[in-house]
Amino acid sequence: MRPRYLLLLCCGSWLLVTTLTRCRQAYDPPAIQAANNYLVVDGFINTGANAVTTFNLNTSVNLNDTTATGKPVIDATVTLVASNGQTWPLIDSNNTGSYSSAPLDLDITQRYSLSISTLNGQKYASDPVPCYQTPPIDSVWWRQPGDLDINVTTHAPAGNTRYYRYDFIQTWQHDAELQSPWTVVNGLLVASDSSNQLSECWTTDSSTAVLLATSASLTQNLISGYTVNIIPNGDARLDIGYSILVRQYAITEDAFNYWQLIQKTTDNIGTLFDVQPTQLIGNIHCTTNPTQPVIGFISATSMQQQRLNILHTWLNSWPHNEPGNTCDTMTLSGNAGYTLIWPNPGAYWWPYYFDANDDLVVGSRFCLDCTYSGGTNKKPSFWPW
Amino acid sequence: MLHHLIRILLITPFFAVFIHTKTMAQTQDKKRVTGNFENYTFTRLADRLEAATGYHFYYDPRDLDTLAIDMTVNNATINQILDRLFEHTDFHYAIDPYGRVFITRHAAIITTLPEALGGPGKLTSQQGIDLAAQDQADRSKLKKVLAENQLMEIGNKANHTPGKATVAGYVRNDATGEPVVGASVYADAMTIAVTTDQFGFYSLTLPKGRHQVNVSGSGMKDTRRIIVLYSDGKLDIDMPEAVATLKAVIVSAEKTSNTQSVEMGVNRLNIRTIKQVPVVFGETDIMKVVESLPGVTTVGEASNGINVRGGSTDQNLILFDGATVYNPSHLFGFFSAFNPDVVKGVELYKSGIPEKYGGRLSSVLDVSMLGGNNKKWSGVAAIGPLTSKLTIEGPLQKEKTTVVAGVRTTYSNWLLNNLPDNAYHGSKANFYDANLRITHIIDPKNTLYVMGYLSSDWFNLDNDTTYRYNNKNANIKWKHLFNNKSNALFSFGVDNYQYSVSDTRDSTNDFKLAFKINQTWLRAEFSYAPDNRNAISYGVSSIDYKLHPGSYTPLGSESIVVPNIVPAEQALESAVWLGDQFTVNSRLSVSAGLRYSVFNYLGPHDEYNYAPGVPLSTSTIVDTSHYGKNKFIKTYSAPEIRLSARYSLSDNASVKVSYNTLEQYIHMLSNTVSISPTDIWKLSDPHIKPQQGDQVSLGYYRNFKANTIEASVEVYYKRIRNYLDYKSGAELLLNSHIETDVLTTKGKAYGAEFLLRKLTGRLNGWISYTYSRTFLKQDDPLAGQLINYGNWYPADFDKPHNLNVIANYRVTHRYSFSANVVYSTGRPITLPLSIFVLDGTPGLYYSQRNQYRIPDYFRTDVSVIIDGNHRIHQRTHNFWTVGAYNLFARQNPYSVYFIQENGKIKGYQLSIFGTVIPFVTYTIKF
Repeated sequence: MRPRYLLLLCCGSWLLVTTLTRCRQAYDPPAIQAANNYLVVDGFINTGANAVTTFNLNTSVNLNDTTATGKPVIDATVTLVASNGQTWPLIDSNNTGSYSSAPLDLDITQRYSLSISTLNGQKYASDPVPCYQTPPIDSVWWRQPGDLDINVTTHAPAGNTRYYRYDFIQTWQHDAELQSPWTVVNGLLVASDSSNQLSECWTTDSSTAVLLATSASLTQNLISGYTVNIIPNGDARLDIGYSILVRQYAITEDAFNYWQLIQKTTDNIGTLFDVQPTQLIGNIHCTTNPTQPVIGFISATSMQQQRLNILHTWLNSWPHNEPGNTCDTMTLSGNAGYTLIWPNPGAYWWPYYFDANDDLVVGSRFCLDCTYSGGTNKKPSFWPW
Repeated sequence: MLHHLIRILLITPFFAVFIHTKTMAQTQDKKRVTGNFENYTFTRLADRLEAATGYHFYYDPRDLDTLAIDMTVNNATINQILDRLFEHTDFHYAIDPYGRVFITRHAAIITTLPEALGGPGKLTSQQGIDLAAQDQADRSKLKKVLAENQLMEIGNKANHTPGKATVAGYVRNDATGEPVVGASVYADAMTIAVTTDQFGFYSLTLPKGRHQVNVSGSGMKDTRRIIVLYSDGKLDIDMPEAVATLKAVIVSAEKTSNTQSVEMGVNRLNIRTIKQVPVVFGETDIMKVVESLPGVTTVGEASNGINVRGGSTDQNLILFDGATVYNPSHLFGFFSAFNPDVVKGVELYKSGIPEKYGGRLSSVLDVSMLGGNNKKWSGVAAIGPLTSKLTIEGPLQKEKTTVVAGVRTTYSNWLLNNLPDNAYHGSKANFYDANLRITHIIDPKNTLYVMGYLSSDWFNLDNDTTYRYNNKNANIKWKHLFNNKSNALFSFGVDNYQYSVSDTRDSTNDFKLAFKINQTWLRAEFSYAPDNRNAISYGVSSIDYKLHPGSYTPLGSESIVVPNIVPAEQALESAVWLGDQFTVNSRLSVSAGLRYSVFNYLGPHDEYNYAPGVPLSTSTIVDTSHYGKNKFIKTYSAPEIRLSARYSLSDNASVKVSYNTLEQYIHMLSNTVSISPTDIWKLSDPHIKPQQGDQVSLGYYRNFKANTIEASVEVYYKRIRNYLDYKSGAELLLNSHIETDVLTTKGKAYGAEFLLRKLTGRLNGWISYTYSRTFLKQDDPLAGQLINYGNWYPADFDKPHNLNVIANYRVTHRYSFSANVVYSTGRPITLPLSIFVLDGTPGLYYSQRNQYRIPDYFRTDVSVIIDGNHRIHQRTHNFWTVGAYNLFARQNPYSVYFIQENGKIKGYQLSIFGTVIPFVTYTIKF
């Protein structure tokens, strides 16, 4: 049979869709709206010699809460308990939620746990944990060119724990763009000294990432060149001088796994590369309400630390950081400067220098006062230069 | 083929009204009979009469077995006996000059040939009715009647050896030549039926002699052939399609009914049923209809897959005319990727999976493609708000080479641009699919089938991220008949699926993320039917996989993205199988099969070796082993058992039981927490073991009202081993050591499925309710973290309550009204609950795995189909579909995700069709 020719009638067909409204809406179920203030136990049992054990207690906050850090838990009773029954109180002397023991020499053959009772009647207890002694850090060293890596090498007897956690405190010098020999003390223009100078500042902060290393897959208990910090080339922290105190904690495998999960919790949220939700199960439990989550993992260990200092001049092609500020200057004759500046300190202008005519040159304060961009003007005691 | 016309037996009432039974009585009495027939069955009586008189009786014992005989005759003629016997009954008899007695119901038989048919004109009736005149009224009707009533001789008449012979052939639709799949073919009153295969082929072994071969198929009108079987021979049967009637039709197709087939946990839908269901934008959607079946759930409105009996979406083998389709959806999951105009039907195996299938744990969804009209050219064109499509089918060479070609494309871009919400401006979404199928009959013993399928999607929802994906499939099948009892199907094919995500947000970070899977396969399947009691199938198959698990490459010259390419994986999955469907007796039938599958993970590949006795993690990698090309890195093998049995309690009730074990060597890893699911597939390797599952299920089936209403209850219990779930914080994309981020869990799933289905009549449709639970457990500390303290936890797709109602009401032939109601429990979700700071590090505290659920899903759709007119003979046939999707405008969540916004973590739910969507579609058939 011959093909029948097709009669295609393109009749009108139209879409009555006019509204596809509000496809995306906030998802905020009661589970998320709830306070969700869970106890966060932050610290470790310090097994070092004559060491103070400190725990910070605070509560986690709701997702909609803008508080950067948790709310401190004050007036709690915190006790360190050894498996032989001995107890030591931890005292929050400043009412900041930071509970510390007296300096202790704990018997490392014992197991220790932490017990907490809060004002609202809840009781918490950690699982008893064995004591570890953290081996000393062999070296903290850096490597460049390009970005700067700061690495740790350590080793311990094979029988020791093979899991390590690190954190660090870093300090860097940042100078004012315009250096002045003068400063203002009690409304008086005086020559600056080390206690009130504003040309050289030092800013200190701590690591914000979870740093973990393990030798579990190695034949030796050796951590060789674990990178704790990477500073991108040209970063202002190495403009002048930089000092890092790396702290090492030997921990149990369980603690290691716990920290590894925290490491992942906030990575990449809301992207194509989202990680799966994590489930944090620590070793502290609420004994009065077992279903209530408690965040934190107690380890009993000592802390080992080592400092590394680096000067900008040691580095290969590390461009100076250009803040890009426009520094204004102005010459004042006579006493004009005094009236301009000192009735309201903190104003825009700040003394710079006296010119050849002994007129005071003033400049933008943010260019003359390094504390303007943070930090302290007191040289830290460990600062080598 | 010689149609040797011996005798025409006309039994339609149409002819019979003119004839009085008595006038048929023959005068040539042979012998008179005397006897006392007390408590006789008709069969016994007929035997006695045959012995005594030499007459032969032809009758359907099923008709007569209720007739209680209690009479005494003395020197009576056969006519006298039969007159008395059938007095006050609706049985009639006729005796021809050769001494044959035909017993029929409702009307008597005319035992001679009318003039018009060239017969000898030996009308014995004195009235001399002009049948020819009546007959002219409808020749075609007569033709059908002739086919059903003419006696066909099969085989070599000279062969006089007693015993059995086999008749085989194809069952086809008489209008289009389309093979009828799954039709029952049975002889006489035999309770044993054989079923046609996917090509409409059957093979029936019978004692030599005269038989009535009955054929019934779903959606088809029952037909029959009267044959005299001398030796093995061929009998192709054309059967008419059932014409939809508004009155409830008495369907006698009980041989195909769900109470009688041995299969269990199988749902079959033909395309006519599928097309009645209202769906979004009036676009007939196969997957959406499958989702409404009992035991099938889906994670979201627009998810890429189905969950069958508590299985995950990757545990379904989706076959489209033999080709594995990895992504059966279009437009981020809103439409299925199967063009309904080229689909013939769908079979979903939830349990009792035949041994020829394997490689997935939960189900096999077999979508069959139309074979095409081998008699004339025809086609369908449809214009809808979102898509337009055109399908053409016809014979390239009449009844030898048939082709079907279909294309479908969307023009949804303008729709997205016309949305009032600015968020969609500039968004683009496109897809198309194309199908081709060619059937070529080389000779009666050899047929070739070629198919090609291409589906392609690309969409861009926020102007800078473009998603693309493609399915490409092609295969060739060769069916060869060795003889009537055995035949083979050899096939070879290539299946390909790939996707990519490209981001052009800012030139330095532009990237393209790509994934690809390629499989080449070869199969040889054999069927052997030594007799009607056994249907033996055996075969061998092999799949060669090549996977590119992910590449991340810079896009454009300015991009500074560092390329990251996860090395390719390859493997070979092979299987041999043997099975038999054995009919023990009319009540009990058993299907037993064994499949043995072997999986070889092949090089080249670099495998990480992990420290023994500790969980796999990047920190426990010891070293790397390199394996060369085609080196066997790891081999897994396992036997798989497939058993099922049916026991009939009565003609319309049965119980079935089945037990299955299955193995799965390829796994999907789905990142459900991100905004756009990016699924990757992973082969089993030395670290990721094959998933194993077994399932036991039990069902009760009961039909009412002459099989027009089917009811069934099935319960199942499943165990799953090595199901992959993710470790906390798992990274799935571009991870070359995925084994460190996944966990193998134990799973258990159980549930009950209730189905009430009415497929005929003014009101038709079905109600299905599924209770289904799936729990997983990870309590091995060595495998990594414990999930939920090592307790059972609900799987991502655990949705306990699922209700589907699909109803179609035909007001008149021209108007019909359809409604579709879907309700299901919201799927589980793990929620971030709280933010904390520990040692200076901020962290997010999540709930226990799958502790909460997203809101329940509820949707109602309605549509009205208006037919242009109902004349059969017209150039084109057209109809309108008018309806509304999501009638109550419920904002069902499509996905729930969390993003960081201004330093805060905010949750969003995205509902794509959060409002009522009216639609109009116009379809023309020609």
